[in-house]
Amino acid sequence: MSNVPTSEAHGSGRYEIRVKGRLAPRWAAWFDGMTLTAEDGGTTCIHGSDADQAALHGLLAKLRDVGLPLISVVHAEPDRPDTATAQPR
Amino acid sequence: MVGPLLESKLHVPARRPGTVARARLNERLGGVSNSALTVLSAPAGFGKTTLLTEWLAAVPAGGPSTAWLSLDARDNDPTLFWTYVVAALQAANDGVGASALSLLQSPQPSTEAAIAVLLNDLHSVPHDLLLVLDDYHLIEAPEVHDGMAFLLEHLPPKLHLVLATRADPALALARLRGRGELVEVRAADLRFTAEESAAYLNGSMGLALTAGDVAALDGRTEGWIAALQLAALSMQGRGDASAFIAGFAGDDRYIVDYLAEEVLGRLPAEVRDFLVKTSLLDRLTGPLCDAVTAREGGRATLVSLERANLFLVPLDDRREWYRYHHLFADVLQAHLLEEHADEVPKLHGRASAWYEQNGDISQAIEHALGGADFARAADLMELAIPVVSRERREAELKRWAELLPDEVVRVRPVLGVFFVGALAQVSAFETVARRLSDIESSLGVTGVGTWPEEPPSDVVVVDQEGFKRLPGTVQLYRAALALSEGDLDGTVGHARQAMSLAPTDDHLTRAAAAALTGLASWTAGDLASAHDGYAACIAGLLRVGFVSDVLGCSVTVADIRRTQGRLGEAVSTYERALELAAVEPGEPPLRGTADMHVGLAEILLDRDELAAAAERLARCHQLGEHNGLPKNPYRSRVAMARLRAVEGDLDAALELLDEADRVYDGDYSPNVRPVPAVRARLWVRRGELSRAVAWARERQLSAGDDLSYLREYEHVTLARVLLARHAAERAATCIEEATSLLARLLTAAEEGERTGTVIEILVLQALVEQARGDTVAALAPLQRAVTLAEPEGHVRVFADEGPPMAALLKVLVRKKATGYLRRLLATTSRTEHGTPVHQALVEPLSERELDVLRLLGSDLDGPDIARELSVSLNTMRTHTKNIYAKLGVTSRRGAVRQAQQLDLL
Repeated sequence: MSNVPTSEAHGSGRYEIRVKGRLAPRWAAWFDGMTLTAEDGGTTCIHGSDADQAALHGLLAKLRDVGLPLISVVHAEPDRPDTATAQPR
Repeated sequence: MVGPLLESKLHVPARRPGTVARARLNERLGGVSNSALTVLSAPAGFGKTTLLTEWLAAVPAGGPSTAWLSLDARDNDPTLFWTYVVAALQAANDGVGASALSLLQSPQPSTEAAIAVLLNDLHSVPHDLLLVLDDYHLIEAPEVHDGMAFLLEHLPPKLHLVLATRADPALALARLRGRGELVEVRAADLRFTAEESAAYLNGSMGLALTAGDVAALDGRTEGWIAALQLAALSMQGRGDASAFIAGFAGDDRYIVDYLAEEVLGRLPAEVRDFLVKTSLLDRLTGPLCDAVTAREGGRATLVSLERANLFLVPLDDRREWYRYHHLFADVLQAHLLEEHADEVPKLHGRASAWYEQNGDISQAIEHALGGADFARAADLMELAIPVVSRERREAELKRWAELLPDEVVRVRPVLGVFFVGALAQVSAFETVARRLSDIESSLGVTGVGTWPEEPPSDVVVVDQEGFKRLPGTVQLYRAALALSEGDLDGTVGHARQAMSLAPTDDHLTRAAAAALTGLASWTAGDLASAHDGYAACIAGLLRVGFVSDVLGCSVTVADIRRTQGRLGEAVSTYERALELAAVEPGEPPLRGTADMHVGLAEILLDRDELAAAAERLARCHQLGEHNGLPKNPYRSRVAMARLRAVEGDLDAALELLDEADRVYDGDYSPNVRPVPAVRARLWVRRGELSRAVAWARERQLSAGDDLSYLREYEHVTLARVLLARHAAERAATCIEEATSLLARLLTAAEEGERTGTVIEILVLQALVEQARGDTVAALAPLQRAVTLAEPEGHVRVFADEGPPMAALLKVLVRKKATGYLRRLLATTSRTEHGTPVHQALVEPLSERELDVLRLLGSDLDGPDIARELSVSLNTMRTHTKNIYAKLGVTSRRGAVRQAQQLDLL
């Protein structure tokens, strides 16, 4: 256990959240500055800077509240370069 | 009181014209009256609230009555949540909840106690009653979930809980489902079927669409009602419905985005602007909208929006307050953030100002925080906090403390000390030291006497009265912090400073400081100072009318008096407290009344007035568990166990002590009479010596320990264990250890003037001498004990010792037959004693049977034991049967107990 970095041990890090439906870029601000990437097949990938568990759950609650069907939540590799195309705010 | 309640939250929302009849779901909801819990669980926009509203409207006269509550995020404060629940139930049914409400309004509200009395009321409601909680997903506080679980566990048969939520509630759904007590309506049930979509689009909305168009819309929206509504709005007055549908069906954009844009795009610019800018309001009313948009005519706009069916939900019948449908509000907010991000703080500021002018400080604070205007939020908080803390909304205070940036709090010493108080209240001491230092350094305080008369110019003080109290309150919380760290000298030092610094009219600070000195002195064993501290605290609390807290302190004062052997003063402490707690007939009894009866029962037991003690305990029982302060659950069981033991039912006494140990809550008091030690004494009396010895070992007690008041009760118990071991084993070391331990304990107790303890130690010294066979030497300490005990009427401290004590008392009576001595002798002679069962078994156990017996005392089950001993299960069973027969028992539990009594393990 001792060599597990604390950030991972507590479930923080970068997450990629995939939802059904193409979201207009305006939602980026509403999602507190996350980056939205439209994907083939009518899905949107929501990703951004590191989030801890509380932030992640807050984000999922927001998705629930606008009725966006959740497809997947993936814990991204920590050393993966940021692929964001646009960084609002 | 938790501030004015919003009436509108208790109204069943108005029905909307043109809703689609949903017979299949109404039928499912018909099962509500047979179920404890009904859950409508689906994402936003699936028509949960509408379904409930329509179904309730169709409930026939004479059917269940309905208590409705629309929740919002602020209801995560348990006190506020339950106050609203009670208000909703009262609105549906007069005559329930009055006691619960007064408990919630008391200075120390216990929500569980309030729920318990509420349940009492609800049990007598003759007809079915539905409690509907809408938007339950907004509840995240575990305290509220716990309360709901408690409610659900004790739900009266006539009460039915209905939750509409976007996420499954944190309640034991699977268990209820298994018992058939759960009705569920989920997203798959709520979606419009193709027929319902057709009925809505062509019937309610009058769109005259072809079957193919309806199918396309139904397919694209998957029966999601909010999306169908938006689609219908987009098509109204449009000639080319088919083209619109084709475009929509062929687009993969997020449905609500696509449709909301369609709807918004067709609205006049000023209406669109109104919608977007007011989207940051949780609740809308004309004047508030005017303030936020800096225009007029808000009320008319709201009315026309409602008429156009634009996702506006009226919150009352007078068309004064509305809210947007949540889904639509989120879309509007996304537009607001995109189009007017720079205006958002200004809009929040206007909303905050409007709420402040209209007296809703909480909302004013929320909008100041929303606009990141922390200085304004802090100013408002400083004014609001005296009220909020009086109402015990600690959850809200703690949230505020977490939301404000440190640099804002650092220049606001009065606000800072309020936050410290809220954090100390919930034992969150991590940041308290730093916050207190921040306060002192912001004022340039370097020591006592350097507090400025007036606040320095770079410091913000809104509450001037609070500033005057600051030096005292800072010291008070330093004392509390020291106590939390176990620093008793520091506690007393800071608390004394708090008392000298607090203004004479700041009774609460002075009372709290006095209590802290009392608590620290008590922990250190200085009972005289402890008594003075608590007496001063009680006087202060009486001045501000905190009677429940007076009752709590009375328990401590009486405990101190009992330890000092002053039973008479302990009785008058409780009697005075009961006079204070007296209420008018019909009013709910004051919380803590039960504790007074339990305390009196203990003293009546000391004096062997058993009938009177039993009556006091019965009164405690009548008042109910919820009437007790935090310590009462364990204290009442300990007292009852004592009564049972005196009556000779040692099994019942042991069970009660096990329970007491499980429910123990010391409520910050030092644990000077630990339940496990009380139980060890009972084991000694039952002859279960091995268990008592194991207890002493586990507590790492030995006769050579350094003595302290906190462990005094345990050490006296150890002396009893040593005496019993001497009787059982005839071991010389035991009696020597007991003798020297008791001598040291006596010196310590005499120095601390703990006469109650002194009497008990003298009694034990007499028994030790008797055990040595020296009756003459035994009489000296016994005579001293009798002399000390007589004025206060102690009886059980002698009588509990049974036959050996009776023998000694007989000698004393022969010398000088006072009435008191005769009474002691008579009572002691009646006391049976459980003597160790030492006779050998008629038929001894074999080695193998002993092995099995030892494992029967473990947690292993039958097959495990067989495996452990490498025998077949059948062989193991034969062994077990033989063991039971030889021990004369019929159960595993009985075998283990018997084996312990026989010291076979």
